[in-house]
Amino acid sequence: MRFCIWLLERFLRPEVSASVVGDLIEQRERGTFWIYSETLSALWNLHTRAHAGDGLVTTLLIDLRIAARLLRRSPAFAIVSVLTLGLAIGATTSIFSVIEPVLLRPLPYPHADHLAFVWERERDGGRDNVGYATFRDFMNESKTIAYAAAIGDWQPTLSDKGNPERVAGDRVSWQYFRTLGVRPELGRDFIAEEDVPGKNQVVILSHGLWERRYGADRSIIGRTISIADNPMTVVGVMPASFDNVVSPAAQIWRVLGYANQPFACRTCHHLRMLARIRPETDMATAATELDQIHKRMEKTYPKAYASVGASVVTMQEEATREFRPALLALTAAVLLVLLIAVANVVNLQLARAVRREEEFAIRAALGARRARLVGQLLTEGLLLALLGGVAGLVFARISLPVLVDRLPAALPRLSAIHLDLSALGAVTALVLLLAVVMGLAPARGPIGDLGINLRSGRRLSGGRNHLTRAALVVGEVSLAVMLLVSAGLIARSLVRLLAVDTGFDPAHLLTLEINSVGANYRSDASVFAYHDRVREAVAALPGVTNVAVANQLPLAGNVDMYGVIDPENIPSNPELVPSGDRYVVSGSYLSAMRIPILRGRNFTASEMIDTTNRVALVSAALAQRMWPGANPIGKHIRLEGPKGHDRLVVGVVGNVRHRGLDATSTLQWYAPERQWSFADNQEILIVRTAGDPAALAASVRKVVASIDPTQPIVKMATMDQIIATSTAQRRLALVLFGAFAGAALLLAVAGIYGVLAGSVAERTREIGVRSALGATPRDIIGLVVGQGGRLSAIGLVLGVAGSVALTRYLRTLLFGVGPTDPTTFVGVVTLLGLVTVAACLIPAMRASRVDPSRALRSE
Amino acid sequence: MLGELEQVVLLAVMRVGNDAYGVPVHDEIQRRAGRDLTLGTIYKTLTRLEDKGLVASYIGAPTTERGGRRTRCYTVTVSGKRALQATFKALRQMAAGLDVGLEPT
Repeated sequence: MRFCIWLLERFLRPEVSASVVGDLIEQRERGTFWIYSETLSALWNLHTRAHAGDGLVTTLLIDLRIAARLLRRSPAFAIVSVLTLGLAIGATTSIFSVIEPVLLRPLPYPHADHLAFVWERERDGGRDNVGYATFRDFMNESKTIAYAAAIGDWQPTLSDKGNPERVAGDRVSWQYFRTLGVRPELGRDFIAEEDVPGKNQVVILSHGLWERRYGADRSIIGRTISIADNPMTVVGVMPASFDNVVSPAAQIWRVLGYANQPFACRTCHHLRMLARIRPETDMATAATELDQIHKRMEKTYPKAYASVGASVVTMQEEATREFRPALLALTAAVLLVLLIAVANVVNLQLARAVRREEEFAIRAALGARRARLVGQLLTEGLLLALLGGVAGLVFARISLPVLVDRLPAALPRLSAIHLDLSALGAVTALVLLLAVVMGLAPARGPIGDLGINLRSGRRLSGGRNHLTRAALVVGEVSLAVMLLVSAGLIARSLVRLLAVDTGFDPAHLLTLEINSVGANYRSDASVFAYHDRVREAVAALPGVTNVAVANQLPLAGNVDMYGVIDPENIPSNPELVPSGDRYVVSGSYLSAMRIPILRGRNFTASEMIDTTNRVALVSAALAQRMWPGANPIGKHIRLEGPKGHDRLVVGVVGNVRHRGLDATSTLQWYAPERQWSFADNQEILIVRTAGDPAALAASVRKVVASIDPTQPIVKMATMDQIIATSTAQRRLALVLFGAFAGAALLLAVAGIYGVLAGSVAERTREIGVRSALGATPRDIIGLVVGQGGRLSAIGLVLGVAGSVALTRYLRTLLFGVGPTDPTTFVGVVTLLGLVTVAACLIPAMRASRVDPSRALRSE
Repeated sequence: MLGELEQVVLLAVMRVGNDAYGVPVHDEIQRRAGRDLTLGTIYKTLTRLEDKGLVASYIGAPTTERGGRRTRCYTVTVSGKRALQATFKALRQMAAGLDVGLEPT
């Protein structure tokens, strides 16, 4: 109310404001909304016209009023401009809202710029995890590291409360949370005395797990919970605000407790190392020092290292490493769309300004100063930009949650993505910039030479204006080419990727993880018996044609590798031994997956239960690596590890894609499950079905649960779903690039159409003269299409050049196609060429129907 | 010939009689014509009418319920009444013989 009175008394003449203010005070019980709308209406209606002596705000108010009236009078222009700007601003805001927390904002830890991951650097520049002994040496010998932690993957089954549940977790050395600089909210952190074998039965819970499973019970601290039937003490609960960038999915942490166990080795690369660099040093110093320490370790333990140094990567860079190129490419794409949208609106503004030349000429003749007219144009630009900004925010609010839903779950800091102040600030800045651009474009163009226009009394719209508009259209077409080429390359990559031979038949496969943890499964025999019972029960289901178990699945993100040695030819440096994916399987695995046997034979039924005569199958690539050119059947392999039995190779099978469709291929070996040195408590059940595998999901789950209801069943998915997930990032990129490219195409076509339609309208007389002098409709069409075609051709050439320069930044999103794939380029140029010609045809037809007598009489 | 808004506001001022300022005029128009004009529109119209000499205004006393602001009250002048009559006469003549619900008197 006070603000309203202030506004009214500030901007209205006192004798006017007294009446209105009095009325508002008298009737204030009609409510705040009424007061505000009445205030706005009074300001709008009762404000006096602008004069030379008026203040800036008064002028602005009046200009806004004029601008609004003008927009109302040409609704088509208003709607098209606001929607174009709104969609572009909205898309930009959404993408920026993702980029900002994920790539730009410092990680949510104190002095996060001093956090780094330490890797072993391999000869080829790649990197590897560290072994525990390596971690200890790095940490103890370094003078630049303040705290460090080793992190190992951990997938515990919470078996208390009669409700088994598998959760993601980490096993971490005791200084993990200290390294990050965070503290538990309840209870305490791990302590050094717990980080030894036997004492490491302590866990810290995430806030989410504590709330969900333990009802946010504060007395949980010090209590024992059952993990795979082992008692573990809860010592702490992390705060809800703890944003876990190291392992976004982890919900529980157990102290590592390695000390001098067999796992405390140098050659087993199964730990990630996180370090906090001392505040007084920097990353480069730390990297040099750790590199030197690594050199000393190589000398001391020459057989333990194939790596050639240490690699120190800031946590921020590490967390976004996988996604940075794609996100940056998306940002570039959305900015291109925004550029095209602005070009389009400026184009519309210019077209409109041509029609308003007379209005401005008259205003100038009546004494309006040039600054005043430019101010009016700026205000119009501001209003348009503001409306576009509002539409953009609405669009961003709708689109951002949809986008976040589809982002890969491994993206760090997903929870920090909001439509927040920084995004708003960026949008505001953008809007103001647009306002200036959109306002000044016509001021520089058609409104330029006021005197001439009025004297001539006729539209003189100078060549400069045409040139500007033509340049804008050429720019739009070239930007659209770049976006379409990018989208085309990504689309072709996805097609190529999905055509990759997986090595098995993914159709009609249902997979799920079955567990056998806890007191009932202490013996290996009980685990195998459980697997057999599950297999038999599921095989009996109608619609199931084959059932198998294996310790891991291709394409599902599992990593379980062992070094493979030929016992007759042991390499001197164990680090040079090839690693093969471990497939410990039931006898039906190959037939269920439809992996072909290329040489030799499958395991026999007796080999599946015989534990003395060990046998193995190898993939063709592993056979080629171990015994190039020789017959592998009858050779032996020995797998690295505590119990290195020799196994007779009885067959060679086809290679499968294990890591991913786009990843480098790996080697595989297969062994019968009872011939492996331990029973796997987590197994994948593979069900081949006659019909739709998803339709059997419920009955399979029911049957498995009926055999042991205390065991969790997780990760149920069809193989097709697993493949879709493994390509999710590319699919998202394709959808976004596709949408941006589509919008760009539409805007570019609209731009060409607008320029030609305007040009035809202005050249009516000329066209009339031409046809009076004998030009046929065909000639006229050729004239107009030629004009559009020239613009489009220049745009296409520039666009192709720009694409050649830019598409190499897309490389991480491409697969099987080069960044200058000729098919894509030719396809895009053809498509855009055809579409722009089609856009030219409508104004061309109109031009060809110009009646010469009427066109000439109109002057 | 008066504009439609001018007619409505003039008639409302006549109906309200004494103390015809913004709020009563607004309420009268809302009650009879079912139109919810804003005070800004009404004052703007009244100002225009006063410029044309069709209404006259006088300043009321400041009251506490108006926060010490005076009312500006309006009455219809003789030429205002004449303008209404002329408008209605023109309307009747235009409507004569047409079934548009406006009967000549």
